[in-house]
Amino acid sequence: MANDLMTTYAVAAGSAVRHLRAARRRRLVLVLAACAVLLVALATLALSLGAASLPPGRALTALLGVGEAKDVFIVHRLRLPRVAAAVVVGACFGLAGALFQSTLRNPLASPDILGIASGASLGAVWALLVAGVTGLAVAGAAFAGALLVAVAIWFFAWRRGLHSIRFVLVGVGFAYLCSSLLAWLLSNAEERVAQSALLWTVGSVSDIRGEELALLAVVAAVLALAVSLLARTQGPLALGDDNARALGVHVDAARVGSLLLAVGLVAIATSFAGPVAFVALVAPAIARRLLSDGGAALLASAGVGAVLVLTADLVGQHAVLGVSAPVGIVTGIVGAPYLLWLLATNERKSRA
Amino acid sequence: MLTSPRESSGEVTRSRTAGADPVARRARRRALALVLALVALGLIAVASLALGVRDIAPADVWNALVAPDAANQDHRVVLEQRLPRTLVGLAAGVALGLAGTLVQGVTRNPIADPGLLGLNSGASLAVVCAFWLVGVTAPIGYVWFAFLGAAAAALLVFSIGAAQPVRLALVGATVTALITPLITLVLLRDATAFNLYRFWVVGSLTGRGLDTVATLWPFVVVGTILAVVLAHRLNMLALGDDVARALGQRVGTTRAMTGVAVVLLSGTATALAGPIALVGLAVPHAARRLVGTDYRWVMALAALLGPVMLLGADVIGRLVLPHSELEAGVVAALLGAPVLVAVARGRNVAGV
Repeated sequence: MANDLMTTYAVAAGSAVRHLRAARRRRLVLVLAACAVLLVALATLALSLGAASLPPGRALTALLGVGEAKDVFIVHRLRLPRVAAAVVVGACFGLAGALFQSTLRNPLASPDILGIASGASLGAVWALLVAGVTGLAVAGAAFAGALLVAVAIWFFAWRRGLHSIRFVLVGVGFAYLCSSLLAWLLSNAEERVAQSALLWTVGSVSDIRGEELALLAVVAAVLALAVSLLARTQGPLALGDDNARALGVHVDAARVGSLLLAVGLVAIATSFAGPVAFVALVAPAIARRLLSDGGAALLASAGVGAVLVLTADLVGQHAVLGVSAPVGIVTGIVGAPYLLWLLATNERKSRA
Repeated sequence: MLTSPRESSGEVTRSRTAGADPVARRARRRALALVLALVALGLIAVASLALGVRDIAPADVWNALVAPDAANQDHRVVLEQRLPRTLVGLAAGVALGLAGTLVQGVTRNPIADPGLLGLNSGASLAVVCAFWLVGVTAPIGYVWFAFLGAAAAALLVFSIGAAQPVRLALVGATVTALITPLITLVLLRDATAFNLYRFWVVGSLTGRGLDTVATLWPFVVVGTILAVVLAHRLNMLALGDDVARALGQRVGTTRAMTGVAVVLLSGTATALAGPIALVGLAVPHAARRLVGTDYRWVMALAALLGPVMLLGADVIGRLVLPHSELEAGVVAALLGAPVLVAVARGRNVAGV
């Protein structure tokens, strides 16, 4: 009798879990499909809009390499690189943000707030204002700045293992340190140079093409592949160190690995595009709320990040008062209100 | 300072009955920390009046304060230059220390500080608009913009995120993400505003006359009184919303009152000294390290350590460079980052 009851409960629980899993999977597929559809639509729009406006049909045939030579040139050389750069950069930031936030278990932990983005800005602004270099050297300085800050955070936060709160606190300290030094550099610089340095700190995807784009895409793809190998550990890690350990996860190794990958993603994306502001903070927060399953939402964050940056770039190019604004300005203006709306509306369901 | 007589006599009785028990030891340790902080503040205030490009003996400083002689060059330096910046540093330091403690208490997030709740960015946006649209350039004119900007941002943040501590911090960061690009947009368009802004945003105690302090000190006083009242409530809130409610507290009221106090305090600090990074973040952590997690003591110590850190930063900034000054904001960040690292490396860092 008691046994029967137990079996009934177990069966009921089992089917409830199966239902939940199926619902979660459906939701994930839905969100990813929505991201994909949006991306295709936005990309088509981005390929057809511009100084020489092409109808979407002509833009798409030009994309395939047929049609007028002029159209093919415009689409392949001018617009496609920018769209691709926006998508890759957005996905990098979204994925990196999701990794930071789930690994450190703090919804505020993003490269903007942890100082890795400000390290990149500081490196680039130093290169522009003090070293007086331009071009690829600035990207190199930004990459070095991001890595240096990450290494410094790592070095100071490491004490018999890497604890989330330590990492986050030290990171925030470095963020303020870097932005203070940045403000000081800007206040001591000559007016004209200061303004161009300010422009770099905003972030833009307009000048990534050719070999730079290929390099960015390849590195991002390799890092994303590595993330997919680690993704299995993110769910248990979100339950806390002890529970994760009980579920058979090597907590320290998993945390070190995912933070390394996140830093790598941010560094590569920032060095080419600049610190495209707040994508890494906003995209995972939106993705988590769209899925609302309490998980790390890695894939969805990458998707939302790509949509966010592509939208922002479109809006920045075509909608702001007739003058083109760099994408970094628009991401905050586009993404933040949506996140605020999500935060304000799903009062009960939300899991931050 | 914040313990009622009843409370401290209770601790004395307990210590008598139990001998050298932990409670008595902790009380002694706390009192010692408070006394030392008070002494440090006194010394720093004297140093701030005496040290600089022209070093003035403490005796002359005293004479300048009690029997000012308009013909004496030293007296004029003390009264016209060093007294205002010392008072600005005192008021802003107290305000930042308390505001940081309040914000960390109400969000229960160790990386929360007034800047992260969107207050600094709100103030910055308002100041930029004052430069850009109204053409205000005198400090006494734009302090009100800074103040109103901070209040508006706080109102937005608290009205959306007040129901949950985690969400409050996330909403704050999101509002910052929304406002920062708007600031950059204005700065990229208006070179004059950028020129004024880059000197404001570094954070400095100079250039604000006694009139700004004379106008704004009541806000600091009211904010401090609110902080004193709130300390006990934050102690209960630290146990979680449910426990606080079970103990008979109106959690919503506590959050709203904290919001008001934070706006008064950090709005004033930002209006007085610009967005000073890290003081509001590092000081509460340092105080918690010294006196434990009881918010009454943390609050008292933070109110003393805030000005110690800010004035200390200002004095150091006057002395390090031979012919010019480093702004207090930069030095505060350079000092605050190691403090934060030291706190983060401590054993019991999680105690928020």
